Amino acid sequence: MLLSLATAALSALALAQQIDSTVPVERGLRLDVNAYGGEIAVQTWGRNAVRVESGPTDRARVEISRSGTTLDVRVESRRGPPEMVDLQITVPDWMALDLSGVYTDISVVGTRGPVSAETVQGEIKVEGGSGLVSLQSVQGGVSLTGAKGRIEVHSVNQDVEVIGSSGEITAETVNGSVTLSRVDASSVSATTVNGDVEYDGPVRNGGRYSLSSHNGDLTLVVAQGTNASVAVSTFNGEFESDFPVTLTDTRKGRRFSFTLGTGSAQVTLESFQGTIQLVRPGPRVEKDEE
Amino acid sequence: MTEHWTDRLSDYLDGDLPPAERTALEAHLSGCAQCAEDLAGLRRVVTRARALEDRAPAGDLWQGVAARIGARRAPRRFSFSMPQLAAAGIALAAFSGAAGWVLNTGVPLEAPVAVTPAPPAMLTPARTAAGSYDAAVADLERVLAQGRGRLDTATVRVLEQNLATIDRAIAQAQRAVATDSANLYLNSHLAATMRRKLELLRQAATLVAAVS
Repeated sequence: MLLSLATAALSALALAQQIDSTVPVERGLRLDVNAYGGEIAVQTWGRNAVRVESGPTDRARVEISRSGTTLDVRVESRRGPPEMVDLQITVPDWMALDLSGVYTDISVVGTRGPVSAETVQGEIKVEGGSGLVSLQSVQGGVSLTGAKGRIEVHSVNQDVEVIGSSGEITAETVNGSVTLSRVDASSVSATTVNGDVEYDGPVRNGGRYSLSSHNGDLTLVVAQGTNASVAVSTFNGEFESDFPVTLTDTRKGRRFSFTLGTGSAQVTLESFQGTIQLVRPGPRVEKDEE
Repeated sequence: MTEHWTDRLSDYLDGDLPPAERTALEAHLSGCAQCAEDLAGLRRVVTRARALEDRAPAGDLWQGVAARIGARRAPRRFSFSMPQLAAAGIALAAFSGAAGWVLNTGVPLEAPVAVTPAPPAMLTPARTAAGSYDAAVADLERVLAQGRGRLDTATVRVLEQNLATIDRAIAQAQRAVATDSANLYLNSHLAATMRRKLELLRQAATLVAAVS
């Protein structure tokens, strides 16, 4: 019996596969990775080649194939249910990335190309990216740093954050906060049902900014010299401002608007039952500490 | 100057403008073709929403809903400005979902609004749109119910908890609308939250399809 078990264990070890393959690529090629579970970690290098490394697995097979302008990396199960496999992938920084999984954490560092990442039970963390950067997780948090272009970050049950990025931003979750920090956006739509929303960045002339929550607080950082028409709406919430504002229009209910400077940008702040705050840039003193 | 008035058009239709501002806007409208055109567009939204038919959901409703919602993933926005209101109204009417708020329970349309009063038989668009929304939600909930066994239990739990969160928000918004039916913010917030539920259900149905 013991001999049989030992033999089986040795067979399993012998079958365990570790991939380390490098494939040359040319500009314009896109990388498409699908891994049911585990981790997809992408980093960049200066070579026009893609290197795929995987952790040991005895039940899964990592397949690399090319079709048209796409380089596909797939984790296929040899037998039984899908297995968790960690993939370490190194790509040229220009390469567009399309990464997906189910029980999969996804991370990207150093890319300068478009990124699409989707997972169900996993975190998404991306540093870099340009063009369309679209990140979506159901149960995990989503974090994006240093991207430029059209940015879409979505979660359902966790926080989403965009830091040090620029472009047009759509950020959305249901049960979590939305944090847009050190961003430079001409268009922002930030929405949650049960969480806070914060925008910290310049409000550009002609820009459009919409922050909304049902249960949470909204914080808009407003620098001196901002030109914006601001519309504020709440049902059961409060409005606070670090600086005086002169209301130009007060409507039925808790709805009012005011103009800062020339009023060039359109800012909409809506929280059903949270506090809407305008603050100046710089360190903030939490109320609890006052 | 025009932009200032454009932002007031929806309030004008709602009858929310103070008399002095209403008079000023009407004077402006007589000399501004752009604002007059915008106002006409907003009226068309209202008229179109009134004309929504009460159609039974098709068997493959999900495909259509998915395609339409997917096509609207670009920045979503609800605010008081007329173009945004019009866009939101058209988008909502397009998928026969939450457009009911446009006509929801007696948003007052004052004399200047040239909307022909509908006969009693036509005065059910809110109910009609709400019925279509309910049908769409029911369809997607059925997909989720049928496929929940194929999803991870933790995922199902998270989806259901978040749907419950949205349902609570919808209920609160509905109660708020009941107390102030002319409040454009409350109506648009209710519509946005209802749509959020549809989107989450769509996402859930996509997950079910992916593991089928």
